[in-house]
Amino acid sequence: MKGSDRKIKVVVAMPGLDCHDRGIIYLSHVLKEAGMEVVYLGKFNTPEYIVNTAMEEDADVIALSYLNDHLYMIFFPRVIELLKEKGCSDICVMAGGRIIEEDRPKLLELGITGFFGQSTPTKDMIQHIEDRVKRERWKQ
Amino acid sequence: MSSKEKIKSTRRFDVCPVTETSAGIPLKEVYGPQDLENVDYKNEIANPGEYPFTRGIWNNMYRGKLWTRRVFTGLGSTADTNARYKYLLGKGASGLYCFGDTITHQGIDPDHPLAQGYAGVSGVSIVCLQDMYDLFDGISLEDVSVSFNNPCMAATVVYSAFVAYAEDMGYDLKKISGSILNEPIHLVYSMFETNAKPLDLAAKLATDVIEYSIKNTPRWHPIAPNAYDMHEKGANAIQEMAFTIAIMEEYIQRMIKRGYDIDEFASRVNVFGCACDIDFFEEICKFRAARRVWAKLMKEKYGAKKPESCRLYLSVHTSGNSLTVQQPVNNVARVTLESLACVLGGLQSFDPAGYDEGYYILTEHSALTSLNIHNILAYESRVASVADPLAGSYFIESLTNKMEDEMFKVINKINDMGGAIKATESGWIGSEMDKELIKEQKEIEEKKRIIVGMNEFIVSKEEEVPIEVGRDRPLEEQMATSKKREDKIKKLRETRDKRKTKDALENLREVAGKGEGHNLVPLMMESLRAKATLGEILGVIREANGASYDPYKILQYSL
Repeated sequence: MKGSDRKIKVVVAMPGLDCHDRGIIYLSHVLKEAGMEVVYLGKFNTPEYIVNTAMEEDADVIALSYLNDHLYMIFFPRVIELLKEKGCSDICVMAGGRIIEEDRPKLLELGITGFFGQSTPTKDMIQHIEDRVKRERWKQ
Repeated sequence: MSSKEKIKSTRRFDVCPVTETSAGIPLKEVYGPQDLENVDYKNEIANPGEYPFTRGIWNNMYRGKLWTRRVFTGLGSTADTNARYKYLLGKGASGLYCFGDTITHQGIDPDHPLAQGYAGVSGVSIVCLQDMYDLFDGISLEDVSVSFNNPCMAATVVYSAFVAYAEDMGYDLKKISGSILNEPIHLVYSMFETNAKPLDLAAKLATDVIEYSIKNTPRWHPIAPNAYDMHEKGANAIQEMAFTIAIMEEYIQRMIKRGYDIDEFASRVNVFGCACDIDFFEEICKFRAARRVWAKLMKEKYGAKKPESCRLYLSVHTSGNSLTVQQPVNNVARVTLESLACVLGGLQSFDPAGYDEGYYILTEHSALTSLNIHNILAYESRVASVADPLAGSYFIESLTNKMEDEMFKVINKINDMGGAIKATESGWIGSEMDKELIKEQKEIEEKKRIIVGMNEFIVSKEEEVPIEVGRDRPLEEQMATSKKREDKIKKLRETRDKRKTKDALENLREVAGKGEGHNLVPLMMESLRAKATLGEILGVIREANGASYDPYKILQYSL
């Protein structure tokens, strides 16, 4: 199924052992309100589990969040690597939380976008997801 | 923007837009004598130091003893932390604070596959008895109090390790003092839930610590429930206190079932760690109301006769969630307001958050500023000289009454559900917290809650007052710290007398399945002495109770 009659499906997850999940709780709520389908994995996931779930669920988007420390620079690239290995690089990967400025170019290069934070209006996040999915997945 | 719009937007700020408290209690424009008509001073308010302790737990409050002035410490290795402790003690500190790292909270060892990059990173890793030797080398435990922030099942092991160390070093257990967070139920919806399940087992182990402690380490506070995390995950001021009190009732009832009288232990389980957010008056009334609710419950429901059973000690970390990453210098104003609420609310201790808490571990400048917020309040502003100076205010007393009523409503509701464990397992407490979190975020987004610099009065990055903020440690450094810890534990496993370790763990396993009547602290101490690790000890206890050895189901028992 393609096009606007289909709901955008988003896997929302935090990799690793970070416990700051306020952001994804709220994000999941607003995405559902915006008519998207949310597969909520919450916190404490391995990159493998996140990618496998996204494939099984035929998700359009993986939305990652991380705040506690710097390990996202291991987990996020690993998600991309796994998607490549499994031939699923067409799944859009986005990230939010506390992604520091200096890391962003490297993540962008891997195809990770968004970098949403505490003050990003949720309508901007929704718009960003819709734009990327329509452009990259639905080729509109 | 047209000029017409500009005028409109300026006018919007000409009146105070707030008509209710943060928790949704409606606020009148003005309060008067009619709001206190039915209030009985002697029974409901009473003097400071008198039941129900609304006005504070001591008669002269800060003239007798100032609040404890704590600053957050969380350093990587046990050796680094030991060095910092010695430095702080040299500067006149009387209490030490031990913040556990992520994996200790999770109850897993540094060589667990999921621990990579986490061991010893945002706190101290405590896994084996040797860690206590490294942590307290050269420090006399009879002269300082140690506050461990470790929660849930892992706390049982940390406490056992601490006591085993103190005993082996020949300290008088009756003289050691301090506290441990311990409480697991709040974690299910706030942080590290994996280490809190099965919940009934976790609560049993927490009760073991309480029971062992009142008999053997009588100056120790064996549980200090964490209301803070629940607040930061959504719970409003009423829920924060009501959930925590309802949770504490679980332990009180377990202790009574084990045959103890309320007056034998109530004065050891009466320290709460709370948040203090930006809603100034509501927070002050939250503290006043919580003390009254606790006192009434202890006396009226549990029949406490001693006044010390009815005193609730409150400590605070000011709300990290109320701070912004934008214009961090503004956070000094926020933290000062929140700290003032702590003083006017009659707290026993608090630590003002660093203005750069939204970035990473505090810079020295920000830690020093936090310490000076204490000093300005304590010595410069004169706000601490009179006990409960706001008492008698029509508004304060009326809001305190309202919050007490609302707290009791929530506590009674949880009791009707069968207690806090049932209300947690059914998902009710969690969904109430989510609802509040979503409501708060929505209000921020719709600018019904104004947060300066974040959703209103925004300035560009270039216009911000320049101020130094904490920076992440580089990834390589983080990985190396963790690897060092991992290697140390691997070496312990290779060099220990495996049979001795195994025998101790098997002894523990045998008793661990026998239920509530068998306190596991002594056997955990024996296992630690036989060089068993945190993950192994919790693993066999879990298995003996029908759960998986590894909370993440990756590792198997392999001794």
